[in-house]
Amino acid sequence: MQCADSLRVQAYFDSELDAASSYEIERHLEHCAGCSALLNDLRSVRDGLRGHLTVERAPQDLRARVTLALDRDDARAAHHGVSRLLGWRRAPFWAGAFSGLGAAAACAMVAWFLMMPPSSGTLIDSLVGAHVRSLQPDHLVAVVSTDRHTVKPWFAGHADVSPVVADFKAQGYPLIGGRSEHIDRQRAAVVVYRHGLHTINVFGWASDGRAMSERITRNGYHLAFWKVGNLQYCAVSDTGWTELDGLVALLRDLAIGEDHPAKE
Amino acid sequence: MNDRRARFEAQVLPHLDAAYRFARWLSYSPADAQDVVQDALLRAFRSFDSLRGSDARTWLLVIVRNCHFTAARQRRRRAAVPLPEEHESENAEAMISQSPGPEVASILRDQARTWDRLIAALPEEQRTVLLLREIEDLDYAQIATVTAVPIGTVMSRLARARAALRSRWLSDPEETPHAVR
Repeated sequence: MQCADSLRVQAYFDSELDAASSYEIERHLEHCAGCSALLNDLRSVRDGLRGHLTVERAPQDLRARVTLALDRDDARAAHHGVSRLLGWRRAPFWAGAFSGLGAAAACAMVAWFLMMPPSSGTLIDSLVGAHVRSLQPDHLVAVVSTDRHTVKPWFAGHADVSPVVADFKAQGYPLIGGRSEHIDRQRAAVVVYRHGLHTINVFGWASDGRAMSERITRNGYHLAFWKVGNLQYCAVSDTGWTELDGLVALLRDLAIGEDHPAKE
Repeated sequence: MNDRRARFEAQVLPHLDAAYRFARWLSYSPADAQDVVQDALLRAFRSFDSLRGSDARTWLLVIVRNCHFTAARQRRRRAAVPLPEEHESENAEAMISQSPGPEVASILRDQARTWDRLIAALPEEQRTVLLLREIEDLDYAQIATVTAVPIGTVMSRLARARAALRSRWLSDPEETPHAVR
């Protein structure tokens, strides 16, 4: 049997009532068996749902897709800004006459964006994208080894640089292996470490540009940059900054110790 | 990265998981849900200036819902299948969908996932209201905004969804109702 107050009992259960109404319902529940049974039902359904329902998270490649779509839209917005500067909106006749020219200009803009050297924004995206892809099954490492004497020589044939490699198992960062990735139009070396349940990808590539800013967070991933000679490093992970900085400090000390310039 | 993009990533992107879950509850197809969420995030980015300090999650979920219905309409037009009528019967049993789609059917077959199965069997408008309340922890006013119905309708759908779940759960042969007194 349901009491006329059943929706109010539900509102009470969902914390939607003010103090006075809550008090009224609590009094009502004391003598209405139907409503107190209803309250129990509401609780057991909530506990069942919150305890057993599969709560999904957005898949990693959806994150990458969204980032890519936003990048394209940023580029599109930049293009519109340029079109406005040309002033064709103010002259409808010439707009028609020069629409072909406009289309050519648009194509030129797109080509320009495509051919532009990667800015730090797209570089960050490719690093995050590579990190996210590496988390998919069978994408993490091309050479599986906890021995730096196996991983380091492997890069000689597979990457354009030779980064520092070490197993920091004692410090909580065991070496997992390595692979190569296309970053900044070259074959970058990627050294993979584990910290707890987290994967840390350490990218290394040759760069003659100025050093990147040291810390960036993108899509929830932390990116730490540092440079040794012309070898640019970037560690990417979803760990906290403290854990990531721990590995960065170890790698920096090691690099200063052995000084590894990039191979030409 | 420009300032607008940085603010968008800080305020809106943290709700990507909620947006994806909501799209899944609406469509039940992972591929459709991904397309809908990507479209929604892009639209959200373009109209980001209209957010103006209001609740970013509710705002994003409204956009997800609109994108879902736009996409569903397009799919239906291509398939030339008429729109299903909205059931508003008072009888909780009649609310249980009689013709589940293929994705729902596969979940129904999976005996291990009792609660997922029970949720899949609810009609969409009850399922979304219930999960926005219980999983996303939205209040009635936020749910009303996201689902574009009055608060009274939110309350009655919530009550029907809970009653249907409760009665199905008790009658489910796979689940012993030991936790229920």
